Amino acid sequence: MAELTYREAVAEAIAQEMRRDENVVFLGEDIGAAGGVFKATVGLFKEFGPERVRDTPISEQAILGAAMGSAMTGLKPIAEIMFSDFLAVCWDIVANEIAKARYMTGGQMSMPLVIRTANGGGSRFGAQHSQSVENWAMMVPGLKVVAPSSPADVKGLLAAAIRDPDPVMFFEQKSLYPIKGFVPDGELVDELGTAKVLRDGGEVTIVALAAMVPRAMKAAEELSAQHGIEATVVDVRSLVPLDTQTILRETSKTGRLVTVEENPRLCGWGAEIASIVVDEIFWDLDGPIIRITTPHIPLPAADALEDATMPSAERIVREIVEKID
Amino acid sequence: MDVIMPQLGETVSEGTVSVWHKTIGDTVSTKEPLFDVSSDKVEMEVPAPAEGTLLEIRVDAGTTVPVGEVVAVIVREGEVIEAKAAAPVAVRAEAEGAKADIASVRSNSVKAANRDANGNPLSPAVRRLVAEHDLDPAAIAGSGMKGRIKKKDVLAHLESGATGGRSRTVAAPPPLTFSADDTEVIPFNKLRKLTAEHMVRSKATSPHVLQAVEADFARVARARTGVSGAWKKREGFSLTYLPFIAKAVCEAIREYPRVNGAIDGENLVVFRRVNLGIAVDLDFDGLVAPVIKDADQMSLQELARAIRDVSERARTNQLKPDDFTEGTYTISNSGVFGTMITAPIINQPQVAILSTDGIAKKPVVIETEDGDTIGIRPVGVLAQSFDHRAIDGAYSAAFLNRVRDILQTKDWAAVLS
Repeated sequence: MAELTYREAVAEAIAQEMRRDENVVFLGEDIGAAGGVFKATVGLFKEFGPERVRDTPISEQAILGAAMGSAMTGLKPIAEIMFSDFLAVCWDIVANEIAKARYMTGGQMSMPLVIRTANGGGSRFGAQHSQSVENWAMMVPGLKVVAPSSPADVKGLLAAAIRDPDPVMFFEQKSLYPIKGFVPDGELVDELGTAKVLRDGGEVTIVALAAMVPRAMKAAEELSAQHGIEATVVDVRSLVPLDTQTILRETSKTGRLVTVEENPRLCGWGAEIASIVVDEIFWDLDGPIIRITTPHIPLPAADALEDATMPSAERIVREIVEKID
Repeated sequence: MDVIMPQLGETVSEGTVSVWHKTIGDTVSTKEPLFDVSSDKVEMEVPAPAEGTLLEIRVDAGTTVPVGEVVAVIVREGEVIEAKAAAPVAVRAEAEGAKADIASVRSNSVKAANRDANGNPLSPAVRRLVAEHDLDPAAIAGSGMKGRIKKKDVLAHLESGATGGRSRTVAAPPPLTFSADDTEVIPFNKLRKLTAEHMVRSKATSPHVLQAVEADFARVARARTGVSGAWKKREGFSLTYLPFIAKAVCEAIREYPRVNGAIDGENLVVFRRVNLGIAVDLDFDGLVAPVIKDADQMSLQELARAIRDVSERARTNQLKPDDFTEGTYTISNSGVFGTMITAPIINQPQVAILSTDGIAKKPVVIETEDGDTIGIRPVGVLAQSFDHRAIDGAYSAAFLNRVRDILQTKDWAAVLS
């Protein structure tokens, strides 16, 4: 088992799948010779060459248009959108075309592509380069939505996304790129639509995604050490398909649900999970559901302000201690 | 004229309207079914009590109401004008009264069930536990903010031995957690629910003791074989071991009548009649125990026909409410599957039940004047569960021993000839 960074796991997964299937191609801005602006794709250009690892002009629509066309004609493209904020200019292609192709053609056409993108805040990039937009994709029927929290999950879930016959939006939380973790050797392919229980507690179930997962884990340790509250932590990993069984089961066990989201509060994914929990297991709840989110504001660039807006481990601890009883 | 929920047998207190055959405005008749009722193991059609027109349906299909409750109103010829003129005012007054009742009940129950002693709201999980165990929230110590009751407080309260208003001795098991992919959920039907309720109640009511004897069926087997061909030809069904066992039970009850009884408070009521319940499996789709009245007055042949009759009618859903009433002793027969012994659960309010299991050839020691020999005999176990409140082991054993004796020594061939 090797220790890899989150960014190295991205390149490993792409390399694993490109070696396995020559139809897998990769395109995006500065992903080739430069190895990606976040250095998440280093080595791919050298190994697979400019035909399969292709640098594009600075046009997100061109990138996704090309990916869509090549997927329609038999390739399995991986397209990178450097900052997930820029998905906004691609939304016709993503939401109207890519997401609907299989449906509109009565199943005659599939769209086996992956859109990778650096998502979320914590890197002082300001309001237009820091948004956490996985909930945008979650709202569109026809898209699968994955957001890993660890190097091992990056590798396994990205490989699964590339092999999936339908379009997958793959959100890499950019502040996680430097984190390290052990990744199993050899071929690694995970399963989309499966959540992971990372910590077993008895009193409260914290459901988190991507960068909020390590913060929730830190908070859980703090809750246990300082306040005697034992928390279960569930890493959702995949918003669509959503592993409701694990979420419902773990919430039933404790009777208390806390969602920790980086999304601005309105219509963040935690709202959907809260709604499902209330629909399915209302009578198992032992108190109100607690949603911990970024407030409904553009994310500030200033260090102190950005830290104050995104849910931190300290804030998770504080909110749970205040509201759990 | 009111149409009421009929009494479907003596021990039945409520019925479920399963289907309405008529809609409002239809002409109804005493010769046509107006609605179907299902109750304690039977389903039956109920005709209109008089000729006329259906004016009102008060109980939706699927609703269970007490016997005697008005389920519909019909108007007979000539009654129409009077009913129309009088009804609205009365109905409205009734409705106002009902509304007031509901309002008062609602406000009370909200107060009682949804708040704790400190006025804190109860969480859904706590409400459910409180309802399931019939607890008084005011009696539960809350450990949450401002004394709020948490789920764990209710569980601790229950663990400390607290019980609800109703005498509940068994804490509810924790909810099952399972993956829907790995399971198939089979909802209980009405019969399953009744059986479940009855079995739990019987075990909770009666201290069951199981006793068993092994009986040699050689004489019975010989008598059966002797007539089997002619019997089948004449009667149209096979002669099984069960009528012989039933006959032996009826005769043994004459000598040991206390197994043929019921407990009423602090009295054992011993029945003079022997009404034999026969447990019938509905092809794995439920269990019923129709009753053969005055079984002790029947010959072996009559018993065989009666058992055949109730089994057939049970399987074709043609039993009537009265087929289930007045049982005094029950026989359960798992023998067809070759089981060795079954510990049956008493059919309340009776005090004993017999299970007959597989009869198979076995080597047995036979005592003769010239010494012991080993023979091959058809042998089966007769197992009786009895209510230890009513009788003791010696009495039950003596009864079982008598049943065995009759089976082993009676000249069955002569009985059949």
